[in-house]
Formats: sequence, structure tokens, C-alpha cells
Amino acid sequence: MPTPSLAQSPGPGADSSLPELGPDEGGWTTIIRAQRHLLDLNLGEVWRYRDLVFLFVWRDFVAAYKQYILGPAWHFIQPLTATILSTVVFSKIARLPTDDVPPVLFYMTGSLMWILFSNCLNGNASTFTGNAGLFGKVYFPRLVTPLANTISKLISFSIQLIVLMLFYLYFTLTGATVRPSAWLFTLPILAFIAMVMGVGTGIIISSLTTRYRDLTQLLGFLVALWMYSTPVVYPLSMVTGRLRSVMLWNPMTPVIETWRRGVLGVATCPPVQLWYSAAFAASVLFVGIILFKRVERDFMDTV
Amino acid sequence: MTKIPVDAAIACSRLSKSFVVHHQVYGSVKLAAVNALRRRPRELIEVLKSLDLTVHRGETVALIGRNGSGKSTLLSLIARVYRPTHGTISVHGSVAPLLELGAGFHPDLTGYENIELYGSILGMGVRRIRERMEDIVAFAFDAPDLAAKADTPLRNYSEGMKMRLGFSIAIHTDPDILLVDEVLAVGDEAFQAKCFRRIEEIQRSGRTIVFVSHDMPVVRRAASRTVWLDAGTIRMDGPTEDVVEAYISSSDRNHPIE
Repeated sequence: MPTPSLAQSPGPGADSSLPELGPDEGGWTTIIRAQRHLLDLNLGEVWRYRDLVFLFVWRDFVAAYKQYILGPAWHFIQPLTATILSTVVFSKIARLPTDDVPPVLFYMTGSLMWILFSNCLNGNASTFTGNAGLFGKVYFPRLVTPLANTISKLISFSIQLIVLMLFYLYFTLTGATVRPSAWLFTLPILAFIAMVMGVGTGIIISSLTTRYRDLTQLLGFLVALWMYSTPVVYPLSMVTGRLRSVMLWNPMTPVIETWRRGVLGVATCPPVQLWYSAAFAASVLFVGIILFKRVERDFMDTV
Repeated sequence: MTKIPVDAAIACSRLSKSFVVHHQVYGSVKLAAVNALRRRPRELIEVLKSLDLTVHRGETVALIGRNGSGKSTLLSLIARVYRPTHGTISVHGSVAPLLELGAGFHPDLTGYENIELYGSILGMGVRRIRERMEDIVAFAFDAPDLAAKADTPLRNYSEGMKMRLGFSIAIHTDPDILLVDEVLAVGDEAFQAKCFRRIEEIQRSGRTIVFVSHDMPVVRRAASRTVWLDAGTIRMDGPTEDVVEAYISSSDRNHPIE
């Protein structure tokens, strides 16, 4: 190896500016290798960049606030539009039953959970293609992006829950008979399953779109298809026979149904099915992360 | 594996980097199916070929070479934008890449807000950014009429102003290692001179600098050691005077100087 003959001698104070030698990696701060194990998430590094996660979340909110006239009202508009639309189309026009619950409450409850899932899915589906410019210019742990994205969606979900609570109060005070059940307390679990499933599917799609750009055009269609095969705008109780057993294979069905069982006291999907949803969500996330790590490694190698 | 000296700041060992040629990349499901049928292997360009290079602490090293010789790829690999195809890079200390200034700037956020955002992208914690905030703003917006701008959204900034801000943030991360691509064409002459002074300060404080340049006077002025890259390998490595001399005479023979 050639040795330099004109190396400058470090000035005073040089050593104090250098970090202390770490106990592992032979004192090297960073070792950049060609290969890294696909399951090595390097969460320690993500933790060091935690400020960036929160700044990304904050950026999404502030930028949305500055861009749209409606600002934070945007969070309410999404579930409200879905509710009004469903009430008019499915209840008033198509006259679908809502398990004897006020249609507005029925649709709002279902949509809220569905919106959490689909927001997590859509929000992460463009992680690579949407951030190609940034990823190609500067290094930071890429997992920061889906993490920040997901936190944004969760905050948005919590805001939307307040709207649901207000509607709930209004309807119970005006005499509607709604009987919430103890399943209501599974909300954190249900939200978590919906989130994990959405994030997992989203990052699988984001990884695939780096290779197959035309997949993006299919995405909206796929999500709509998934929604109509999930009892969001109709109760599972009106589906019978073979179709019903097919629908129970949809991992989002138990999540939505159990959520309505908690809030409204109506559902026919056996809650035990949630184990299946949880297992499905975990597998999707697992596959998603492996694909993500793979793409993260190779994605910038295209000229 | 080559033995790494103790005082090394960056050590590349048998470092290779290949890129996939674009027309070979499967752009869609349809193309992937077509290509799978044809069974064409992917075509790769090897930009760096089993490079061994050690940069010592406190050194300022210039990378020179013709376009496409791998200089910028090497910097990007050290900055971790790309991952090596083979080999390893060991980096000792924090790295500030002055490669693509202001990546991640958001047009709707103010100057202050973008300082926090970009500073975090470069790995600085928010608390440290706030500590350095005044210095960053003072360095980027030195004229009094500019200082008022720090509180307005970035979309009102000129390209030059954004670059100045990006440079100022990156330089204030207090890096142990500074990687500089030819971004020093930032702002007007006065600002460029200021950047140079700042980089010289960093040099004097014993930090390590690796920079890419085609500007031989700059290389002669700033670098103690120069590495001449040619087609992804080291053609020559040594004292700046010798390497620059050899590089120029070779350029005179084969091509006009770029």
C-alpha cells in the first residue's frame, strides 16, 4: 500500500475531537461492508436518528398544514367523506343493512380502522420511488422513512378517533341504542394489527415498485378491491354460505368486525380469528422487512 | 486483508463497486417477463476495481482523475450513499458529506426549520443543532438583509442561497472527516473564499478531508497528498506536486486538460 510522504501532523486538540474507540468493531466507528445480513435491522442506528424520525413526522404535519387551506381539518375530512358517501350510497340508495346500528356510526367505525390500514399501506408504498432523490444523495438509516410515515398515520388515526367519539356521544344522547362491549379494550391491539398489516404490505409494494414501476398504477385498484372484500361498508352478517368462509380468509375481516363488536356491539366474525390476522400481519411485515433490506442495498446501483 | 494503520481515518480494502446498466433493469412486470424468457444476464459496469486506500487522520487528500474514473463514486461509498459490491470501508469518526448540499430541504419550511431537518438528516441531534443554530445562520446569511430571510419559507430562496445554507449546516456538524465533491462553486466569490477559509480552519484543527477536484491550483493549494484515479484503480498516490505533475503531463500527451 502506498504511503503518503506529506501527511500533515494533526494539530493540537485533534484527538479530543475524535470519538472514543468503541469496544467492538475493533475501534472503528463504522464498517461499511458489501453484504449485510437481511435481518440485521441495525435498530441501534435507527435509535441514534430518532430526532430525524420525529422531524419527518413533524415535517409531514407542518408541510400539510402550510400547503392546504384546510390544514389540520384534513384529518377529519377523510373519515367524514367516507362516512357520508357510504351512508348515502350503501344505506340510502342500496339499502344495505347495518346490523340495526345507526348507519353513520356503523360506517364511521368501520372506515376509521380501514383508513388506518390503507393509509399505512399507501403511505409506505412509495418509500423508495418517492424518496429516490433523497436516498441517492445522503445516507441515513432508510427504516427511518417508513417509521416516520407510520407514526404520522397513527397520530392521524388518534385525531379521527375523537371525531368518532363526538358522533358516538351525539347518537347515544339522541336515543340510539348502541351497546359497546368489553372488546372495545382491544382497540390498541386491533389498531396495531391493522397498522402492521398496512406497513408490511406497503413496504412489500414499495420494494417491488423499484423493479416494476407499473405496479403503482395497480395499487389504487388493489386497495379498493381489498376494501370491498372486507366488511367495511356492509356487515359480515349479511354474507352467508361459501362466500362467508371465503371472506373469513381475508385477514382484515376479523380486525374490522372485532372493532365494531367493541364499539357497537355488533359482529358475527368469531374473535378467535384475530389470531389469524395477527399471524398474517406479522408474516407480511417479516417478508416486507427482508425485501426492504434487499432493495435498500441494491436500489441505488442502477445508472 | 491488508493491515490497517492505527492512525487511519478511512481505510478501503479491496473495494469494488459495480452499477447495473440502465437498459438492463427490469422496468416493469412486462419487461421482466420478456427478459426472463430471453435469459439475458445483467450487464454491469465496474466503476471501482479492488481499490486499497488508507487515509490517515489529519490528512487532506485530493482525488483527481478524468471523468468516470470513479472519484465521486468513491466519495459516495465513504458517505454510505452506495454500498460496496465487494470489499470493506472502515471509517473512524463522524463524516460530513459535502456532496449534494441541501438534500431533503423542504420548500414550505422556513430556513430555521430546514436547518433542523437537514442537520438531523446528517445525523446531528436536534439539541446540538439548536446549540449551533446561531453560527449556522450567521455563516450562511452574512449580509444583514439576508438574515431576515432565515424565518421565511425556503421556496423564497435563490438556488445560491439554498446551497449556502446547505454548506453552512454540513460544515457545522463538526465532522471528524469531511468529504467534499466539487460543491465549492457555492455562492459568490466572497462566500467561496469564506468556505475555503473555513475548510482551512478544519484542516488546521487536525480533521481529515477527502475532496474531488479538477482544479489543479486548488489541489496544489489544499492537498498534501493526491490520489490519481484512472478507470477505477489507483494510478498514482503520493505527494501532491509529483502526482499533479504526472497527471498534467499525461493529460497533455493524451487529452487536453479538462
